Amino acid sequence: MIGVLKSLTATMGTFMRKPVTIQYPTEHRKVPERERAFPILLWDFNIDEPFCTGCHACERACPVECMTVTMRDNPLFAEGKSKRRKIIDEFYIDYGRCMRCNICVEVCNFDAIAMNNTWSGHELSTVDRKELILDLDQLLDLSKRKDLQAWDPAAETRASTEGRPQPPIAQVGATEDAPAAGEPLTVAERSAEEQDSPPTP
Amino acid sequence: MALVLWGLFGVDMNVWLDAFLRLQLIVIVMTVTVMALIYVERKFVGRIQMRLGPMRTGPYGTLQSVADAVKLLTKEDLRPATADFWLFELAPYVTFVPVFMTLLALPFMEDWGVRDLQLGLFYIVAVSGVTVIGYIMAGWASDNKYALLGAVRSAAQLISYEIPLILAVLAVSMVAGSLNLNDIILQQDTIPNALLQPLPFLILLTATLAELSRRPFDIPIGESEVVGGPWVEYSGIRWSIIFALTEYAGLWGMAVLGSLVFLGGWEFPFGTSGFWGDFDFLYQMALVFAKSSFLILTMMLISATFPRLRIDQLMAFCWKILLPFGFLQIVINGIVLMYLDSEVTRDIALFATSGALLVAMAYVTYLATRQPSREARVAAMVAARSIQ
Ligand code: SF4
Ligand code: SF4
Repeated sequence: MIGVLKSLTATMGTFMRKPVTIQYPTEHRKVPERERAFPILLWDFNIDEPFCTGCHACERACPVECMTVTMRDNPLFAEGKSKRRKIIDEFYIDYGRCMRCNICVEVCNFDAIAMNNTWSGHELSTVDRKELILDLDQLLDLSKRKDLQAWDPAAETRASTEGRPQPPIAQVGATEDAPAAGEPLTVAERSAEEQDSPPTP
Repeated sequence: MALVLWGLFGVDMNVWLDAFLRLQLIVIVMTVTVMALIYVERKFVGRIQMRLGPMRTGPYGTLQSVADAVKLLTKEDLRPATADFWLFELAPYVTFVPVFMTLLALPFMEDWGVRDLQLGLFYIVAVSGVTVIGYIMAGWASDNKYALLGAVRSAAQLISYEIPLILAVLAVSMVAGSLNLNDIILQQDTIPNALLQPLPFLILLTATLAELSRRPFDIPIGESEVVGGPWVEYSGIRWSIIFALTEYAGLWGMAVLGSLVFLGGWEFPFGTSGFWGDFDFLYQMALVFAKSSFLILTMMLISATFPRLRIDQLMAFCWKILLPFGFLQIVINGIVLMYLDSEVTRDIALFATSGALLVAMAYVTYLATRQPSREARVAAMVAARSIQ
């Protein structure tokens, strides 16, 4: 009997509370910074070419074989502007098959590929499956527009761990005792840097 | 339009024309009310569940009911090949017409209903009982096991809860000494019947929920058990007649009836002679609107709070609790009204006895629904083991 009244006050209480609904197509939640949507390629603003050298490492590692990579000689290397001998020629990723496993990002020696961590990686519905096969320009587009969210590991650690000891956040392959000195910048650092400085022409 | 309204509110007119116009008015108001109620319920229940409810059709989703109506009217009206043609096609109307007929006797304002019946209360109770026939027709004609199950369940539930409902209004009409709704309202100018008769008021609320098959009494149409009960096979306009019109018009009708009979209708707080002269009817309408809205929201809150009862709990609650206490109330009312002449002592006695009965009913329900303590259950299990 008391329970009846209690439950009525409980429902009245929730009636007074603010609804938790987010009206999705017009409002978005913030995606977490380490969100993994689909892989995209990154653009090297210093030299104005993709980081990707077309080395096929990601293509071979991809468990579902959804990538197609071809390589060509880099004209900018001949001109002496770039240190990359080879550069990517054609790059296709079939988002219809990709299972967002992050392996391609981990195996890439040039930090040329990263997981899209914005909403554009999620709202991909198309009327035709063929449109889910992205070519080089589309893959580079997000990075060129600098729309990738910078990942601030320190802030994230502060926010999510509440003082628990965390494994050091490091690029795969970099060991703790041989840290970043002289090594290529990690994707996170690079994207943070790019956010700060305008591209050098 | 102004002329028509003028005619409705006093000027003499051909009796048939008058009836026709009043009916038209009721139909229009009912349709709008039903749409509004559907919207209000979705919003209200949404907020209770911390959702927003409909938001995308029109500003704040206000046009959602209109969109739904258009969708339902243009949907295909399916009929199973094995269904009984006439029963299947007619069942929605058989469920809806009684609900509509109850609206005809309700005085929404002073001396303004479609018809002012001398036995209005009796008429409403009698007519609303017919709805169950439509349920059974629909369930039988659909040639579907779930539909038939639902129909049988609704027959059991609706007929059972009809009796406490009748007892509740009977108790009130004893106090008022009349079955005419206008008289009953006029008699509540100082104290509404809900105060004099709290127990029948509660019984009426409960029985109304059951009569309308709303949660927690939605056993006949429980979608997780009998997938919509008698209405499994209906679609399109027939389904909307059944569901939207019958359910929500019924809700509206019963809420207005409750507000008239128990909450004093347009009479209670300020008396009939309003302050606005010729436009008193507006204020009376607002009063009835406010009271019935309160009842409707209460019922929606109850519906949104409690889970569905089991059918044995439902029947036990009706036959073992509501019914005996309803009868007790009537007997006590009889004694009080017979032997107490002075109005004050009579009112006090009515309030005291009904309140005491209410407390007693709550206590009996508590005793019946009490769970044995954890220790007792463990002891029982241990005892059962040791017997083996
Ligand atoms: S995320 Fe996994 S599945 Fe997708 S392209 Fe990279 S390696 Fe292939
Ligand atoms: S993305 Fe990285 S691993 Fe894949 S081809 Fe380009 S450079 Fe090689």
